[in-house]
Amino acid sequence: MNPELDFKASPELTMGVELELQILNSRDYNLARDAVDLLSLLDKAPHPGAIKPEITESMIELNSSIHENFGTLRTELREIRDAVARAAAQLNLRIAGGGSHPFHKWSERRIYPSERFKHLLEVYGYLAKQFTVFGQHIHIGVPDGDAALYLAHTLARYIPHFIALSASSPFQQGADTEFQSSRLNTVSAFPLSGTLPFVHTWNDFVAYFDKMRRFGIVESMKDFYWDIRPKPEYGTVEIRVLDTPLTVDRAAQLGAYAQTLAHYLLTQRPLPPSEDVYLVYKYNRFQACRYGLAGTCIDAHAQRQLPLQRDILDTLELLQPHAARVGTGEALMALRADAESSRSDAAWLRETYRKLGSLNDVARRQSEQWMGPPPAA
Amino acid sequence: MTDLEFLPQFPLAANPLALFGVLLLAGVLGGELTRRVLNVPRITGYVLIGLTLGASGLNVLDARMLGYTRVFFDIGLGLVLFELGRRVHFGWLMRDRWLAVMALAECTLSFGCMFGALVWFQVEPLYAAVAAAIGVSSSPAIVLLVARELKAEGQVTERALNLVAVNSVAAFVLVTMLLSWIHREYHAGWFVMVLHPLYIMAGSLFAGLAASWLALGLAGWLGKRIELHAALLLAVVVLLVGAAEALKLSILISLLTFGVLIGNLDRDHVLMPVDVGRFSQIFFVVLFVATGAILKVSDLVAGGAIAAVYIAARFVGKSIGVLCFAHLSRIRAGSGGLLSIALLPMSGIALAMTYSAESFYPAFSAKLRVIVLAAALVLELIGPLAVQFALRRAGEAQKEEAP
Repeated sequence: MNPELDFKASPELTMGVELELQILNSRDYNLARDAVDLLSLLDKAPHPGAIKPEITESMIELNSSIHENFGTLRTELREIRDAVARAAAQLNLRIAGGGSHPFHKWSERRIYPSERFKHLLEVYGYLAKQFTVFGQHIHIGVPDGDAALYLAHTLARYIPHFIALSASSPFQQGADTEFQSSRLNTVSAFPLSGTLPFVHTWNDFVAYFDKMRRFGIVESMKDFYWDIRPKPEYGTVEIRVLDTPLTVDRAAQLGAYAQTLAHYLLTQRPLPPSEDVYLVYKYNRFQACRYGLAGTCIDAHAQRQLPLQRDILDTLELLQPHAARVGTGEALMALRADAESSRSDAAWLRETYRKLGSLNDVARRQSEQWMGPPPAA
Repeated sequence: MTDLEFLPQFPLAANPLALFGVLLLAGVLGGELTRRVLNVPRITGYVLIGLTLGASGLNVLDARMLGYTRVFFDIGLGLVLFELGRRVHFGWLMRDRWLAVMALAECTLSFGCMFGALVWFQVEPLYAAVAAAIGVSSSPAIVLLVARELKAEGQVTERALNLVAVNSVAAFVLVTMLLSWIHREYHAGWFVMVLHPLYIMAGSLFAGLAASWLALGLAGWLGKRIELHAALLLAVVVLLVGAAEALKLSILISLLTFGVLIGNLDRDHVLMPVDVGRFSQIFFVVLFVATGAILKVSDLVAGGAIAAVYIAARFVGKSIGVLCFAHLSRIRAGSGGLLSIALLPMSGIALAMTYSAESFYPAFSAKLRVIVLAAALVLELIGPLAVQFALRRAGEAQKEEAP
């Protein structure tokens, strides 16, 4: 078997988080191009986790370590944030969360100087530069490939939750998109985006992958930009639909939500994977992107349509006993409070724009949310 | 009255507007030509076309004609200084103390090296000191405009601009202080010796501060409308340039102060980040053509060896200052050397300073001219190339990259 497809077992329900972040200048809060300098400075500074380049020079990616509980994940993310914020301050840069930069122009972006990213530019043309959007990926540890596929298929029903709870990309290229998460529209342009095939055993998945490789469509698992994707080398299922939230605390809470859901799905196995979920998948995904918590969703198992906000609150209720077991009660309570009062990062960004009247100010406030206000001059 | 009085009378009187048009056209064509033929930055082309049209060449732009361009020259200079000031972040200089130390070190060491070298070559200490003080400044216009032309962004670009702002101020403060010495040399009274520099410094700072208050107050009232803020800033810049001239203050200090303070005093972020450079480009072209026309190739011959010593000492001083602290400021390896190169261009402001000294003591200025103007000529021409090299080498220029 292709060694890349060799599924490495990992401790069940451990989690890890990846966050793609915006590098801004301090002058007009447009995207800067300082990833190389920032990363070389961070190489010399001690910090937990890992900090890596992303496709353009205006982005960096933070990786947490592997965690069993929400508390340690949040602490670590805060530590990495502080290290990044210190390095950024040294270079007079600002760092921001949020799924999109409100007004940068994609044509001004520069591809990060590495072979892989240059290759992506060759393959995807302008899509590569438009890919300067910022997502959160959550990894959940699973014991084997079959469990990974079960979890991936059953999580598909909850994808709108993750989109609505993390939505933070209402503005793109200087305009209000009227979406709560416009980032996913950018991802959808890629030919290998979408959902994984409806296969249930790891052997079947490997057969599918080999076929795709023989066709010359893919070379590695990295070529699939699916919303949920098994990651055999880490032994995880990776959820990739989230916008990077405006704070690391929210990112940790969303990690906790995924962990608790996975606990519910893997320990109770309440639902069989269903192709019907994929029939309604794009509708649900669009509703969550466009309207966020105010959207509707179709529960394919119950065959009914209901408000997404209701579905999220019901799910949070359902997860309570599991939250108690995995220690995510505090995180889920925070998510519930926001969902109940229809608070979201996207709404906050729009409100900030309404109050301050300029997208430069929105980007500035975005960076203040993430790294705290700038040190006094 | 004859019937033909509606016709113009010959010879035609010089018309400042037509002159502005001619300078602009000559600059644009010259800049593009040198870029295409020699592959050098357009700015070098503007200066070359100025030299061609000026006293060293066709002498179309003689002193009288240049007098008419003064107003456009000053607006261009005002806009450059304002934009440079806006790039200065007090907060950054506080956070990255080594950057601040680097700025002071390169000013001090370049002054020391130039002064020492000139005195060694038997230049009188007073002339050596004034020439060294003028040489402390790097050209804000060249560094800013090359960065704009290359769409450069990054640590070398931003740090170079901050260093240029600091060394421009340092040069001006030094020259102003030395004015006291010049006054003494020419037997002026104590009153003039103390009051003149004090008036220029305090007056210019206050003018910049008042302009910042005015602009911020009006920006708050106008609301977040970028086109209105653009007009507001242009208006206040021109107003301040005019006021500084009328009040015999320093355009450099007033406009730099305005630029620095408007960013650093705007705690409520009322002012939108207007890109002043977009509409000031035409003044910049005229600024460089006029600078080229002022310079004389004969100065280069007169300056000769001493100008070469001056340029070399200046580069050595600036490089040591930057390189000693580049590591502590934790920038990428190699960036220190590129920063030193980016500081090479000498300022058109050097010309203004030389002429300002001339206006008081013509004899003094004639001696200074030999040293400073020859160096200014060389560095106006190779300076843009040096900055272009540094920013490209640092990987900060916008590369043409498919698609």
